[in-house]
Amino acid sequence: MRLIFKNLNVLRSTINAISTGIEIKEIVESAGNNLPNLFDFSSFGIFWKEDLLLFLYQEESCPPSFTQEVVNNMIKVFSILGEESVGADRIVLQIEKRKLRPKQMVMDPKATLKSYLTLPLAVEGEILGCIALNSDQPNAFDAQDLQFFSVIGYQMAATLKHFQRFSSIKNMAIYDTLTGLHNRRYFEERLEAEAQKCFHSNTPLSLVMVDIDFFKKVNDTFGHTEGDQILCRISSLLKTSVRKKDIVARYGGEEFILILPEARLEESFVIAERIRRLVENTLFEVRKTQVNLTLSMGVSNFPSHQVKSKEELVEMADQALYDAKRGGRNRVCIFTGKFARGAAPA
Amino acid sequence: MGRVLKEEKRGKWSSDLVLDLYSNLLAEIWELVSALIGEAILAFLVGLAVRKLGEKYPFLNSLTVSEEGISLDEMKEGCRTVAPVEIHRGFQSLINQLSHLFSVLAEGVINKELFPKVFPKVKEAERIISPK
Repeated sequence: MRLIFKNLNVLRSTINAISTGIEIKEIVESAGNNLPNLFDFSSFGIFWKEDLLLFLYQEESCPPSFTQEVVNNMIKVFSILGEESVGADRIVLQIEKRKLRPKQMVMDPKATLKSYLTLPLAVEGEILGCIALNSDQPNAFDAQDLQFFSVIGYQMAATLKHFQRFSSIKNMAIYDTLTGLHNRRYFEERLEAEAQKCFHSNTPLSLVMVDIDFFKKVNDTFGHTEGDQILCRISSLLKTSVRKKDIVARYGGEEFILILPEARLEESFVIAERIRRLVENTLFEVRKTQVNLTLSMGVSNFPSHQVKSKEELVEMADQALYDAKRGGRNRVCIFTGKFARGAAPA
Repeated sequence: MGRVLKEEKRGKWSSDLVLDLYSNLLAEIWELVSALIGEAILAFLVGLAVRKLGEKYPFLNSLTVSEEGISLDEMKEGCRTVAPVEIHRGFQSLINQLSHLFSVLAEGVINKELFPKVFPKVKEAERIISPK
């Protein structure tokens, strides 16, 4: 009776540790740290379908052949439960080795998988992954182990589902659903943070406002579905043409905006020009017709321009974009106040 | 059970009686296995087994599975035209499929509990529904 109470207390603290985790790794580690107090096992595994991540928490002396057997078995069981085959080569394997046994009980280097318990991480009929307890001992687990393990599995599934929902809501809040670029709300937040940092440390900060020339014509001629595909293609060109630290966002309609932290005015102009040329030289296929498109862009910069706020930086980039449009489109203009310095295509 | 015995003596089984018999059997399986692995996982497994067999035994698709248990109520109307032996075969396959899933997950741990209590009844059902 005392043993059951002890186990229930361990179970309670395990569940508590799992449910307060906010990242998958944290949840897995909490479970891994607590499970040795409940079960005798050689390896504990959790497979997370979304990231194809297989996390193994196992005894220090686990031989590689045993690990491989555990991996194969978990993939096999998940394939049956998930009704889809998962290639072992696609799995991202993370192994954490811990001393789970006393020195005299280290695993035989030729140890094989003799018993296991696997449970699906299922919530509302959806399978998120699976968890498994594995042992090199025959008949290592009984009905009570299964009961305890299923309670842990249930809590893990619920926490992971919660985590998944949270991530998806977070993504919806910061990404544009069509293009996959950041959305305007995220842009505003990041600009606030970057502007504060740069104004305070007097480091450069540039904004590039981008507009696709005559995009309305594309929509009118080919329809909005084709227009949306062009937006996605251009988004992807923008994304791959900037530096890692830059932020590319959809500002609205066919307008995009780039935040270029620590970029001096000249550097920003070079980046914008590179993008303009790239789009100009790209042939976009729309319904088997090849279409040429061009971009107009406006650049503003701190400290080159007398900027006092992030709003001013946006207004200046917008003004420069207006100058680019007025100057004949397909060009990059730098904010100059009344007059804009433009780079017309060669 | 009295009704079942009477029908057995007459040697004629209606679809409703076969459904009643398997409804009781599935309720027993549910009670036993849900105590081991929980309702959510069991509901998932029953759903999986039904999907696997639904093409061969379409009447199984009208089985209602939730964390509350398994209900055959919606199935009754649709099964009036299905031969009792066919219903029996469908449920037998379902129980076999579940037993297979249990062993895939936990080797013998679940079936060890399930076999002595439930499988004699499955055998008995087979004997009375499809006598040789």
